[in-house]
Amino acid sequence: MSAGGLPRDTAASVAQAVLLEGVSKSFRSGKGSRTEALRDVTLSVPEGKFVTLLGPSGCGKTTLLRIVDGLIAPDIGRVEVYGSAPRPGPDIGLVFQSFRLIPWLTAQANVEFALRSLALSRPDRQAQAHEYLGLVGLTGFAQAYPAELSGGMKQRVALARALACEPRILLMDEPFASIDAQTRELMQVELMRLWARRKSAVLFVTHSVDEAIVLSDQIVLLGPRPGRVVESLDVDLDRPRWAYDTRSDARYVELRRYLSARMRDLVLADPQSEFFQREPTSTETAAPENEPTASGR
Amino acid sequence: MQANPDGGKHRTKQPTNSMTTGAADAGRSPLPDPPYWQGAAVVGLYRLGFLVLLILAWFWASQSVQRNIIPTPWATAEAAVKLIGEGRLPDALLSSLSVYFSGYLAAAICAIPIGLLMGAMRPVGKTLDVFVFALSATPRVAFIPLIIVLLGLGPQAKIFVVFLGAVMPIIINTYAGVLAADDELIEMARSVGAGKGRIFLRIVLPGALPFVVVGLRIGATIGLINTVVAELYTAVTGLGGLLAVYGNTFRMAEYFVIVLTLALIGVVVTEILRLIETRLGRWRQRS
Repeated sequence: MSAGGLPRDTAASVAQAVLLEGVSKSFRSGKGSRTEALRDVTLSVPEGKFVTLLGPSGCGKTTLLRIVDGLIAPDIGRVEVYGSAPRPGPDIGLVFQSFRLIPWLTAQANVEFALRSLALSRPDRQAQAHEYLGLVGLTGFAQAYPAELSGGMKQRVALARALACEPRILLMDEPFASIDAQTRELMQVELMRLWARRKSAVLFVTHSVDEAIVLSDQIVLLGPRPGRVVESLDVDLDRPRWAYDTRSDARYVELRRYLSARMRDLVLADPQSEFFQREPTSTETAAPENEPTASGR
Repeated sequence: MQANPDGGKHRTKQPTNSMTTGAADAGRSPLPDPPYWQGAAVVGLYRLGFLVLLILAWFWASQSVQRNIIPTPWATAEAAVKLIGEGRLPDALLSSLSVYFSGYLAAAICAIPIGLLMGAMRPVGKTLDVFVFALSATPRVAFIPLIIVLLGLGPQAKIFVVFLGAVMPIIINTYAGVLAADDELIEMARSVGAGKGRIFLRIVLPGALPFVVVGLRIGATIGLINTVVAELYTAVTGLGGLLAVYGNTFRMAEYFVIVLTLALIGVVVTEILRLIETRLGRWRQRS
């Protein structure tokens, strides 16, 4: 971990939305053998910050999110969400790559399904679901079934479902990975607008370098097999980022070049990757002269 | 939920749409969607045509097979009118249907909760499923002597034979439906804080419903078969009884009436269940 040390004092840990310390997790895979999904992961998400976990496949990103949501427990290590052990519920919103809408319910009913965990009256629940569907631009599709919606619209419904509970932290597991490139960019802007409205903490998982830079305040680079924190960097691009051409900003370009090279190295150094040692690593080809401020926080 | 307006709108809007585009500006949309009822009407017409073909084949067979083994459609119709007029057919029908529906209903009432329980509680399911499969593979006719010894020849025995036939496919399909529950949806439900009860009621149960209906359909068919089997093997009554009487005395026209009545029951029951199935799966078909 080249990242700077995380604050360890308890006073600081209260201001953290998410705090993971020395988290490891392995799964049984086949006969007696175990796959290590995460090894000694330490990271934090400050309140109101957008943190992205960036890493190639096989770095345990999804496992990490499920641990933060409280769906599974780590083998060892400490997990805290707003100072206490996480429990799945309306306080933690989770958005999945595969949308996971209930196919026999309308968009409206899908959002209401999540709201049932809150003590709301039926009219309040309906009103709130309607409001959040409107927020993601789907007022006209409230009575549509998921099969009638496009991929982007499905993810909007899923986003509305997660946001409708007004969670204190939003976890997003490659939410735009199965959406076409055009829609993805628009969805990123949409997400930024929604987030700017009410800045909850966000822990966003992606394997796209561009997506990570465009969205985040901080990027945590994860390495594969076992999943571990490699590096943590701040993204100091001005917000709102939809207001200007972020991608041509010098800092963006620099960060992108650096992260892409790191990502490639991680894949090439991964013995289980099909690209293992297929190419010389970037440290041999391109001199890493202008590394950005990789100091982390 | 307010799910009904959508379904209705969809259907009524379509024909009016295609009518206006067809009349006013035919040039704009060269191929307007055919209204939904047109497809249904065409299928109905084809079916009617095939029925006429069948009756013709039947007529041809009745003329070419010797010794009046196959009655003409006309003779069969006459026999039907007579049987209905005498009240024999309605009586037998009523008796058979009461056995059939009692057994079938009892099977559904028992089988669905058992199947759900087996699926929801894995140890229960894993313990029982081998036995259920074994029992469902055994020809149920094999139990009839035992059933007669235990329950006699009366309606209880008949209802039990029907029950035994219908119960297995419903259990097995309900069980399979619960096991086929979408793990991703269950995890999603857990993540929004849904408890076990809500997950079962709103994710697992609706997901299993199409399977349950398939089980009910298979059970209905086997139940009908077992109704006739029971009527032939126990006290000879109902449609099965008439089948035996007319078959043994070579009154083929009457015999054919009974066979056709049984076919009609099968068609009506399975069509009703298919209708339920498509209504439940409406969300699946619109895309």
